[in-house]
Amino acid sequence: MLGRRSLANLPWGLIGLIALIALIGLSAVYSATYTAKGPSMLFYKQMVWIAAGMVVMFLMMLPDYHTVGRYAYILYAASIIMLLLVMVMGKTGMGAQRWLAIGPFAFQPSELAKLALMLALARYFAEDPRRDGYSLQDLAIPGAMVLVPLLLVLKQPDLGTAMMLLLTSSLMVMIAGVHFRSVVTIVLIAAVVAASVFLVPPVRHKVWGSLKPYQQNRIKAFINPSSDPLGSGYHANQSKIAVGSGQITGKGFRQGTQSQMAFLPERHTDFIFAVISEEHGFMGSGLMIILYLILLLIGVDTARNAKDRMGALMAAGVVSMITIYVFINVGMSAGIVPVVGVPLPLVSYGGTSVITTFLALGLLLNIQTRRFMLFY
Amino acid sequence: MQLQDNPADIQRRLPLLAAFVIIFTVVLFVRLWYLQAVKGEYYLEQAESNRIRPVKLRPPRGIMYDRKGRPIVENALTFDISLVPEDAPDRDAAIRSLADRLKIRPEDIQAALDEAAPIRGKYEPVKITEEAAWDQVAVVESHQDDLPGALVEPEHRRHYPYGGLASHQLGYIGKMTGSQRKKDTGDIGLLTGQGGLEKVYDKLLRGVAGRRMIQVNAAGRKVKDLGIEEPQPGNDLYLTLDLDVQRAAEEALGDRAGAVVAMDPNSGEIIALASHPNYDPNLFPRGISPKDWVRLANDPAHPLYNRAVQSVYPPGSIFKIVVSLAGLQTGVIKLDDKVHCSGSLRSGRHTFRCWKKGGHGSISFHDALVGSCDVYFYTMGERIGYDIIAQFAGNLGLGKLTGIKLADEKAGNIPTTAWKKQRTGEAWYPGDTYINSIGQGFVQVSPIQACQMIAAIANNGKFYQPTLLRQSRNRETGVVTPVLPEQTRAFKMDPAALAEIRRALLGVTTESNGTAHGAATPFATVAAKTGTAQVIAQKVAGTKLSASTQDHAWLVAYAPADNPRIAVAVLVEHGGHGGAAAAPVARKVIEEFMKNAGTTVAR
Repeated sequence: MLGRRSLANLPWGLIGLIALIALIGLSAVYSATYTAKGPSMLFYKQMVWIAAGMVVMFLMMLPDYHTVGRYAYILYAASIIMLLLVMVMGKTGMGAQRWLAIGPFAFQPSELAKLALMLALARYFAEDPRRDGYSLQDLAIPGAMVLVPLLLVLKQPDLGTAMMLLLTSSLMVMIAGVHFRSVVTIVLIAAVVAASVFLVPPVRHKVWGSLKPYQQNRIKAFINPSSDPLGSGYHANQSKIAVGSGQITGKGFRQGTQSQMAFLPERHTDFIFAVISEEHGFMGSGLMIILYLILLLIGVDTARNAKDRMGALMAAGVVSMITIYVFINVGMSAGIVPVVGVPLPLVSYGGTSVITTFLALGLLLNIQTRRFMLFY
Repeated sequence: MQLQDNPADIQRRLPLLAAFVIIFTVVLFVRLWYLQAVKGEYYLEQAESNRIRPVKLRPPRGIMYDRKGRPIVENALTFDISLVPEDAPDRDAAIRSLADRLKIRPEDIQAALDEAAPIRGKYEPVKITEEAAWDQVAVVESHQDDLPGALVEPEHRRHYPYGGLASHQLGYIGKMTGSQRKKDTGDIGLLTGQGGLEKVYDKLLRGVAGRRMIQVNAAGRKVKDLGIEEPQPGNDLYLTLDLDVQRAAEEALGDRAGAVVAMDPNSGEIIALASHPNYDPNLFPRGISPKDWVRLANDPAHPLYNRAVQSVYPPGSIFKIVVSLAGLQTGVIKLDDKVHCSGSLRSGRHTFRCWKKGGHGSISFHDALVGSCDVYFYTMGERIGYDIIAQFAGNLGLGKLTGIKLADEKAGNIPTTAWKKQRTGEAWYPGDTYINSIGQGFVQVSPIQACQMIAAIANNGKFYQPTLLRQSRNRETGVVTPVLPEQTRAFKMDPAALAEIRRALLGVTTESNGTAHGAATPFATVAAKTGTAQVIAQKVAGTKLSASTQDHAWLVAYAPADNPRIAVAVLVEHGGHGGAAAAPVARKVIEEFMKNAGTTVAR
């Protein structure tokens, strides 16, 4: 447990940075959801979520992160059960079953799964060290650990989160260390699979046919956005217009025509970055990117200063996760990544995403405050 | 117990993670710079010409039903052809080709655009042809590519299925005037109530507009629906009018100018309210043509005038009811006191005639009211004193607004000695008392006041707020808001006096010297009083009166006499004698009401 002495040693700079990003996000949600009658209920809800997030972040710092690690597999198992539950009795939204209702709350188990998977992988790699990297055989168990939630999420279907799980895990595996030979083999296998999907018509048809129409459209629209600017490319197009039209200085708070006139869909969730970019221009969007950069580099530094493998892997996992989310989300708003529907950490509206991000950051703070401690 | 192992190998690979973070950041930074700084102007232009438009969805206006639930004002779905000039790259060419296709003059389109220009918002469609013919609609739909900016708009158009029937009460709708527009949030094409109930209950009938977000292509054609906010339809009104009774009243009036008011004496509900000549309200919703407007406005018969509430007339002999009540209740009139009528009464240099040239002879109260003897009421008026009579008249609601929710109700006038002094500077002469006692001279009342008075006689002095609305209904929720009978006041009358008056009024239709046998009907016993109001002071003996100088014919009645359920006032302008001209109208109304009374739908 943290003593009073360590309260003074808390990384207040990092906490302030997190709070700053969350507050900018909250102001963007305020603007994006503002109605003719005043601030929307969504804004107040998000305010509550962020306050709750701050609390869970501090709570997450209390137990030793090794304790967290001890519960990693149980948490992982629980998230798998919830993913199974969501298939049976989940709420449907946007053509996919992603929500689980608990009393008045609805939350997305897939958001929790990404955190649980990250923790489970960190524990696995920490307890089974290979000083000179893992071979393919060594990766069979962690590979299976990734595959189970990945397939369950794909089944929902939530291509975006599945992609996030895969990319975050890949980054973690890379940091844990892989034989060079293994990397080459994985790349080759991936290349063969990709080539067969694209070049062998029966396989291509099978894969293509397994996608939902909206997923097919998103991929088509990404490859050629101008093919159907009013159809599936609509989101991407409107978002690019929003971002670009903000120019250097932006149109001003609550002055974004794209954001305020409802041209921009999902503007308080997936496309919140476009709202910031439109209203605050490159000054705003660039600042956000730099704030995330500082946050992530502090994260890398935390991993570098961690006293043990568990701490280093957990910190690297948190950094990987947030890096992938920020890149995919901002890239989506800026039209360089297909529209897959992932939230911007700390900024997008949504309780589950806000809470899991704060939990992950609490873990990072936990590791940082314990970097000088010795464990026996 | 945790194994404190060495994380060195992991930390050796961390620069890889840092590199990823930095590379991603640089990629995003460059991309954002490209979008916002390099291409910013291009995207700003895109944002400003974003082709997403809100389209106003007008709610259907509330329907009006009669008291038996039959629609009396409805909506018909029609199609208008409109033009969004912003969507036509070459406006003149677009106007020419549209005019050519619709077979109308290009100048008319230009005129419509010019008229709308100062009040319309960008991309708001301007109506070119309202209620377009099918071939016009088809031509616009099928030649969309050649007609940039032209579109077909479905519209619920107001329809009055019975034409002029009750036109003054139902009213009409039309474009807002400039001053209305300043106070109103409605859009440019919105038609609002401009008269009658359409105007009084406009806010109830109007509903709330909805909105559809559509995406359009460069020619303004819808390519995608993005969402809809459904309009809320207006509230339906259930009126107190009975279509059958209303029709009977108007048919009975025929092409004579006049008014009929029929009221439920026990609730104030107006069963029929007619004013002739009327007009066709169907002329207005499509924008009345200047020719039609000039014809209506300049018609010497004033068809736009709601004679039932906006016109006041000398009441003639129906005013004898007031004098009777004043006399009996003050004790001045004694039932057995007789007055001799020789056919005229001399006062100073003037002679005041009775309508019956030979005179009524020696006559007491009952026969004097039944036979409407002028000399008797000259005499009694003088004995009572006119200020007392005026007080009773006021208590019976004459010369006062009834408060019915219709525009421009006129109060009329009940003179007093003080009023005359102030108004003309002259003293009140005995002659004034004579002629005002038989409802001539300065006395002026409206038909609805006359009806309210006879209703009060019928129901022992209770005054109900006359109303045309029984209930309104929210079409979406089905919630009904009733308008309950509202008693505004009670006038305490001496029961004996009232009984005597009512016995005489029954005599008017049943006794041999009664003046309104024409109002009698086998359907019910009818109590009535005729009135014949002189338009010019005295007839010149031997001359035939022209149409415009002939007397106004009045009749007030209630039926059945022992248990009144309907009170009626009829006025026929220049109709001649009340018994001959007005009584048959009242009879038709009472008969129609009694025939299907009791079939009113439950509130």
